[in-house]
Amino acid sequence: MVDLTDIVFVGMSVVVVGGAISALEAREIVYGAIGLAFSFFGVAGLFFLLDAPFVAVFQITVYVGAVAVLILFTVMLVREGRWMRDSLSSTGRLVGVLTAVVLAVSLALAFAASSLLKTAEQATAPSFTGIGQYIAVQYAPALELLGLVLAAAILGAMMLAKVERKDKP
Amino acid sequence: MTKTILTFRSFVRHIVWLVAWLLVIVAVASVPAYFILDAFGINLLTLISMVLANPQVLPNFMISLTQTQPTESLFLFTTFPGFTFAALFSSILMIWVERKFVAKIQLRVGPQYAGKYGGILQNFADLFKLLFKEIIIPDKADKKVFIAVPLALMFVAGSLLALVPAAPDFYIANPSVGVIFVFALIGLSPIIALLAGWASNSKYSFLGGLRALHQMVAYEIPMILSVLGVVVLSGSLSLVSIVEAQSGIWFILLQPIGAIVFFVALLAELERIPFDLPEADSELVAGWQTEYSGMTFGIFTLATYIKFYALSGVFTVFFLGGWFGPSPVPPEVWFVLKTFLVMLVMMLPRAVMPRVRIDTLLRGGWTKLMVLTFVNLFLALLIVSLGLYHAGGL
Repeated sequence: MVDLTDIVFVGMSVVVVGGAISALEAREIVYGAIGLAFSFFGVAGLFFLLDAPFVAVFQITVYVGAVAVLILFTVMLVREGRWMRDSLSSTGRLVGVLTAVVLAVSLALAFAASSLLKTAEQATAPSFTGIGQYIAVQYAPALELLGLVLAAAILGAMMLAKVERKDKP
Repeated sequence: MTKTILTFRSFVRHIVWLVAWLLVIVAVASVPAYFILDAFGINLLTLISMVLANPQVLPNFMISLTQTQPTESLFLFTTFPGFTFAALFSSILMIWVERKFVAKIQLRVGPQYAGKYGGILQNFADLFKLLFKEIIIPDKADKKVFIAVPLALMFVAGSLLALVPAAPDFYIANPSVGVIFVFALIGLSPIIALLAGWASNSKYSFLGGLRALHQMVAYEIPMILSVLGVVVLSGSLSLVSIVEAQSGIWFILLQPIGAIVFFVALLAELERIPFDLPEADSELVAGWQTEYSGMTFGIFTLATYIKFYALSGVFTVFFLGGWFGPSPVPPEVWFVLKTFLVMLVMMLPRAVMPRVRIDTLLRGGWTKLMVLTFVNLFLALLIVSLGLYHAGGL
């Protein structure tokens, strides 16, 4: 008996993998960015399926709402006709396929060897208040370190922008 | 449109293409069919297995299908807080109200001839005009994205509508992370504007799309931060619980700064005057909607006004106590009245204000509103930490 969960899972997986493939393979680079956004949407759907609405909604807010917009914007600024007009050489293609196969097999073996496949028992879905308490109490040092890293990134970006402006006459 | 099949290669491609479309259509149609039938109390999978095992079940099923009643969830989706009401209220009534209201403030008459009173049928006339107009797709436009953009905007508007609770029992969805959900959906609109501008392949559209992107990104963050105070006070991210926390006192009285910042950010998000730079009609024709004609433009207008209604409803939920009001009037009516009022106040600047400049707009969003939201959050934390307020009353 096929469960509805399985149907939705397969549908979402198709969206994720199809979006990722089109993100890599699209000739028009904007289509690639749209495919990436679809892939992020599919991942959000998978999180919904896993009873984690908090993570799913943040997946949409951060990845589709911010990262995909940033990528689209950057891509449009440098738009120069059609990209990737010349196809890959056959050796390059062979090496790529071989790398992908090796990576996929090794990842599958690693998953099979780990204990991930055995944790099938029903766990209670974590609420966002619980996540917030964990972050604010137990992992507070990590949170503050992350804040420092972000602040450093913003300062670096500002420095770069300033240097660029000085170069201009 | 038929394609001639000349070679074996094109034949194979044709077959693969057909199978792919068939798979997509089945996958897209089967899941909604499952849920709709589930709402009527019929499980599609058990039904199929029963029919396969015993073909005589099918006539009985046909009989039972004619006897089922539409359920409440279907009513919610389609009728009251859902799509039909919002579309009629926001696009038919509110467009007329807006035209008449702005005209009266500016000492004009407004629509006058269609219909018995005050040109109330003018919108229907405009709708039929749009329906019969040709949809022109520019020659150099990217056709797929060009057609997909109005549908995507409609998707965002309809999804926002599903999150707004209109009364204790009248809501479509009440996720535990409703507030973030609202902002996730709002965050999709810059992509849509940018893609519309890019796909039209016109300089006006592209400039409008870039302006929309800058404006929406600049105002999204103050918008999210201004609601944090409400979240702190109500202790919940669910829209229904936020309304229930306002049974004693409305949050606009405890969070006036947050309400003002949220209101301004809403105006910018909805691209209404004074923040209508993305569709500045004196400079950019119609901004990122320039190349859209006929009913695609109609869909843009409908989606914009549904979004307008939904976000006014969100303002009502956050700051004006949602459905609460003196008792003889039912809560649904209170919600609609308050939303109507918010929409009217949002229309006011259109009548009297000029458009702001882009640098003023961006500086205002990134610096002034941001500082105000932090002041507001500090006030909310002060109220809670001094023990002046607990969710549900003073």
